[in-house]
Amino acid sequence: MGIVAKLDAIKGNVPHYWPIGSFIHHNPLKGFEYLNFKEGLSRAKKIYGGKVYMEPSYYLKFYHEEKISHAILEENLKEVLEVDGLAQYYDLAMKCLLEVNPQWNEFRKQADNKEHPIDKELLDYLDDEFSYHNKERWLKQLTKHMTLYEMNDILFYRDDKEIIEKSIIEYISRYLDEEQTTIAMQNRELGMFETFKLYENFEYPYDSERFVEEALDKLHVKNKERYLLTHLLKLHGWAGFIKYRSEDPTYYAQQQYPSSLMDYMAIRLYYELAYLQHREINNFDLLHEYSLKNSSYVVLKVLKHNYNLPGKYIDLMEESDNYDDILERYVQEELQLDAKQVHLANDILKNRDIPLVELAKIMEVLREEEGYIWMKSLEDTYIHSFINEMDLSDKPQTQRALASVTMCLDVRSEIMRRSIEKSGNYTTFGAGGFLGFPIAFVEFDKTNEQLLCPAVVKPGNIVFEIPKEIDSDYKSKKTVTKTTKKVITDLKNNPFTPYIMVEAIGWFFGINLFGKTFAPQKTEKFFAKFKAKKPQTTYTLDKLSDQEIMMYINKLHIHLIHEAMVKESSNQYTEEEIEAIRDYLVFGKELSFDVSENFLTVLKDEYQITPDDYELQKAKLAKVGFTLEEKVEYLYKFLTMIGQVDNFAEFVLLSGHVSRSDNNPFESALDCGACGGKSSLPNNRAMCMIANSKEVREEIAKKGIVIPDDVKFIPTLHITTTDEVEFYDTDILTQEEMQRFSVVMEDFKKASANARKERISQLPYTKTENDIMVKSMDWSETRPEWGLAGVMGVFAGPRKSVKHMAFGNRLFLHSYDADLDNENADILTRIFNGPLVVGEWINLEHYFATVDNVAYGAGSKVYHNVVSKVGVFNGNFSDLKIGLPTQSVLLEGEAYHEPVRLLTYMEAPLETVGKAVENSIAKEFILNEWIRPIIIDKKAKKVYSYESGDFKVIKEF
Amino acid sequence: MIANIVFFLLVGALPYYIFLEKSEKFSSKFIFQLSAFLLTCAIVLSFFIENEYSKTLVVIAYISAMYSVYRAMKTTNFYKLAYYFIYINAPFFLLFEENGAFYSLSLLISLFGLYAIANFYEKHYGSANYLYVRGITLATPLVGIYITVYLISIGLYPPLPNSLFFLAYVFDTEADFLWYIIIISIYCGNFLVSMKVLEKSIFGKTNPNIHYVDLNTKEKIPHFTIIVLLGLLSLYATKEIFTWVL
Repeated sequence: MGIVAKLDAIKGNVPHYWPIGSFIHHNPLKGFEYLNFKEGLSRAKKIYGGKVYMEPSYYLKFYHEEKISHAILEENLKEVLEVDGLAQYYDLAMKCLLEVNPQWNEFRKQADNKEHPIDKELLDYLDDEFSYHNKERWLKQLTKHMTLYEMNDILFYRDDKEIIEKSIIEYISRYLDEEQTTIAMQNRELGMFETFKLYENFEYPYDSERFVEEALDKLHVKNKERYLLTHLLKLHGWAGFIKYRSEDPTYYAQQQYPSSLMDYMAIRLYYELAYLQHREINNFDLLHEYSLKNSSYVVLKVLKHNYNLPGKYIDLMEESDNYDDILERYVQEELQLDAKQVHLANDILKNRDIPLVELAKIMEVLREEEGYIWMKSLEDTYIHSFINEMDLSDKPQTQRALASVTMCLDVRSEIMRRSIEKSGNYTTFGAGGFLGFPIAFVEFDKTNEQLLCPAVVKPGNIVFEIPKEIDSDYKSKKTVTKTTKKVITDLKNNPFTPYIMVEAIGWFFGINLFGKTFAPQKTEKFFAKFKAKKPQTTYTLDKLSDQEIMMYINKLHIHLIHEAMVKESSNQYTEEEIEAIRDYLVFGKELSFDVSENFLTVLKDEYQITPDDYELQKAKLAKVGFTLEEKVEYLYKFLTMIGQVDNFAEFVLLSGHVSRSDNNPFESALDCGACGGKSSLPNNRAMCMIANSKEVREEIAKKGIVIPDDVKFIPTLHITTTDEVEFYDTDILTQEEMQRFSVVMEDFKKASANARKERISQLPYTKTENDIMVKSMDWSETRPEWGLAGVMGVFAGPRKSVKHMAFGNRLFLHSYDADLDNENADILTRIFNGPLVVGEWINLEHYFATVDNVAYGAGSKVYHNVVSKVGVFNGNFSDLKIGLPTQSVLLEGEAYHEPVRLLTYMEAPLETVGKAVENSIAKEFILNEWIRPIIIDKKAKKVYSYESGDFKVIKEF
Repeated sequence: MIANIVFFLLVGALPYYIFLEKSEKFSSKFIFQLSAFLLTCAIVLSFFIENEYSKTLVVIAYISAMYSVYRAMKTTNFYKLAYYFIYINAPFFLLFEENGAFYSLSLLISLFGLYAIANFYEKHYGSANYLYVRGITLATPLVGIYITVYLISIGLYPPLPNSLFFLAYVFDTEADFLWYIIIISIYCGNFLVSMKVLEKSIFGKTNPNIHYVDLNTKEKIPHFTIIVLLGLLSLYATKEIFTWVL
């Protein structure tokens, strides 16, 4: 297998990392989803070393609080014991789970180990089990994921690792920079490794692949695949980001400055070789030789490095060089402690029948399995209580609602939906925030497009936001703000001016500093006055004709040639000549006058006026807007997806959502996950515009959905931090309609207040509604809202089944009417392909960040600094922090989020679900049980749970 | 001159290295106790005997202090660290003359704090070695705070008394080449060793193999007393600085 294939084989172990600007929740163990959940976690644990389940004491607390049912625990334990062939030890196993295992580590910590005569047979078994007297095997286990430079550091008091990792981070953060630095690295367009060669003045004629191959040979690496993985895992955040960039050909920075994991690997190995060349041990053969000669010393040093060697042995190592003796003393004590754990467990279990060695083996199996048993029992308890509480009666809604609101299925809509329903004659629906309507959106006054859809979907239509009123006020204010910002940034970044700047205008920043600290609300209000107010806007939803497309491209090219003429050419050309130049460059027409070759080259190379670019622009402009058929199709799919096909309310509100906070690099993690970590307002606004169009209504009526003329679709925006609702495009309402709509607005205001009151008890250090408001603008607030923490499941079905149940913002709620679905289960498949995939990513990201925030999370926000505008790291250099920060999942060191798999309740016939699974891209993780599918089949009057590869009936009604 | 030799024997590192560390009979705990006792004697003596600074002895003390910095960087045991700090600061004692007594007194008090911490570690974790018991800040914040105070005091961070007496001395003395070398290198030595220990002992992830224990009421008393003493010395040192400035 070549080196490329070797790297490809292991890169699945590195999680994708999306840039923080559009934070995409994801499963950090996505690369393991081809395995069954339990197996995947066990494999990941071996590679990353992190925890994959919570500690037993965590679940035990739930058990005592009856959040975990005893009967369910019993059932799950029996099932696991049966599979492991230990069914006869059920009573002992249950006692172990409840009494022994939670204290297991405590047994070891108690210093006195003389109280028990230790069983000799047990000692022998443990000795063999932990390889204490097989130093080679032991060492292999201890150094499994260590590089050669790390081993050198450990053995010879070096600090190469720090310097090597720092050098790598310094280079890649500058190379991957997305305009954070003022002085950008030169020549990046050459590629990551080629630029590196210039950066390091390294004369090497070949590419990174060859370099990696040669470097591994020089290091005498035996298992190349494993060594590559070892290197990738050293900075797996950076590696994940490079992997993401290199696999997304549409990522703009990647198009400009290409990077690849192979380049990254070459850079890592370059530094390793550079630092090792003067070291005594500079290849693995020498290390092996050294380890054989000094095995005890090497084991002791590695144990010390891993913080596994108790202080007294470290002291002994300082005082004596009889390492064999020290290691033997350590081993004997460890064995005694290991054996003592079993003896103490045996005492508690009051076991007389099972030999100690046998008991040790049983307990080992149980310790392996207990995390899963407890977690599954917690999940099952939730599942049973959910299905018992559901209302499965058939009560059709007859009264026409004043307004219906479709909110994102996001868990944070749950309280709000309940509050709205309680505040008047309102119905609510839930759908993925992008409404199954993926768009590339170019916001007013912005040049970049945002992909407003789940990361797995690629939008085929572009929507521009354009002003519908005169925007000169906005423009003039914006110019002032932009100029001020530019002057301040230039002064800040110039090497000579900061000192003078601090003296001269430093006080000015004090207003912001003290204001935001002591009076955030007033300061926010004050500074809002200076911000340019966006004019009223509308969207470009209609397709451009071919003539229009030609005209726009022509205008763009003419504009560019004008600009180039001013900057790059000494000659002036008339309008006709400019058009001729453009025709020459784009269509290859003859030029009848002289134009310098230099100028033409500049136009081609720098201004991209080429036939290729013409085609590209044409293709892009062809994507602007929608055809009538597309509009009708998207609206039809959306309405059938949520089951809203008749009995429309007078006002149909489609609500996007967004989070607002200050000084929060993770803000986009709180925005709409189904819109790629951005606000979902544009999708909702665009859908409303489409639904209000007369011709669309006429067409959709032909498909069976009749939207009465008096129905108005109004877009709204739910601010999840404060639970406020903003209303848009109300100018389409007549005066009479506006009067009725003002009642809706007033009721929503009350609903917002009620939702805030309910959330007060959830948020720490929050006593009043105003405290919640302040959190959205306080720049020292590390937890402006709980976001999606607490998420435990998703329900796809009619709202009436769960309307009476309160979930405390813990459940995704997707409206779905199985009766409207076709034979192929197309609607459910779409729900699986978008919302469910996003839901699984969100859930497992929270899961792993909670069970081990060091391995799978981002640590505390307090130490974070933004790096290269792509993510955050700790202090001034560290790995790129993946996952969620502690403030998103923990509260005062304890788990706030309850890690369980996504409990996926679907109110649909089993067959429909089966078809949707079969057709869906989510098939792999569904069948491998990375979520918990529960099917409520009203027709069959059964509830199924998908477990161990089969649909198991868990309730009949 | 005789006074100088007496002081050197009391505070310089060489005698300890030659006679005590070589022998297996003396534990590091005992060496600290002895060094601290002799330093106390030297402090008391310095109030009665005039300490003139002998360049030769200061140079020898300086060389052994540098060696102590090296040793202190290698060890991860609080007892050893505590007596190494005495030796690292020996040249200051000789060089600072009358100010040396107060500087050494505040150093000694900080070291007693470290010694109390070492005792606490030995009692609860089986050894005064801090490497194994990392992540103290997260697990037992109170112990972490005390260790931080003692180490930043030794590391010459203001406003703790060591740094203030050090500053008072710097203001009050005429400098020569040797003075510069010693002041700068020992200042850096104290700082670097303290910071390295601080980083390795109190920060980081907690060790799951350890059952962490925080200070009980009885154990808090000596630490509280030490903090009060350091506070009083800080006030006195501030007064000294103001006297000089005004």
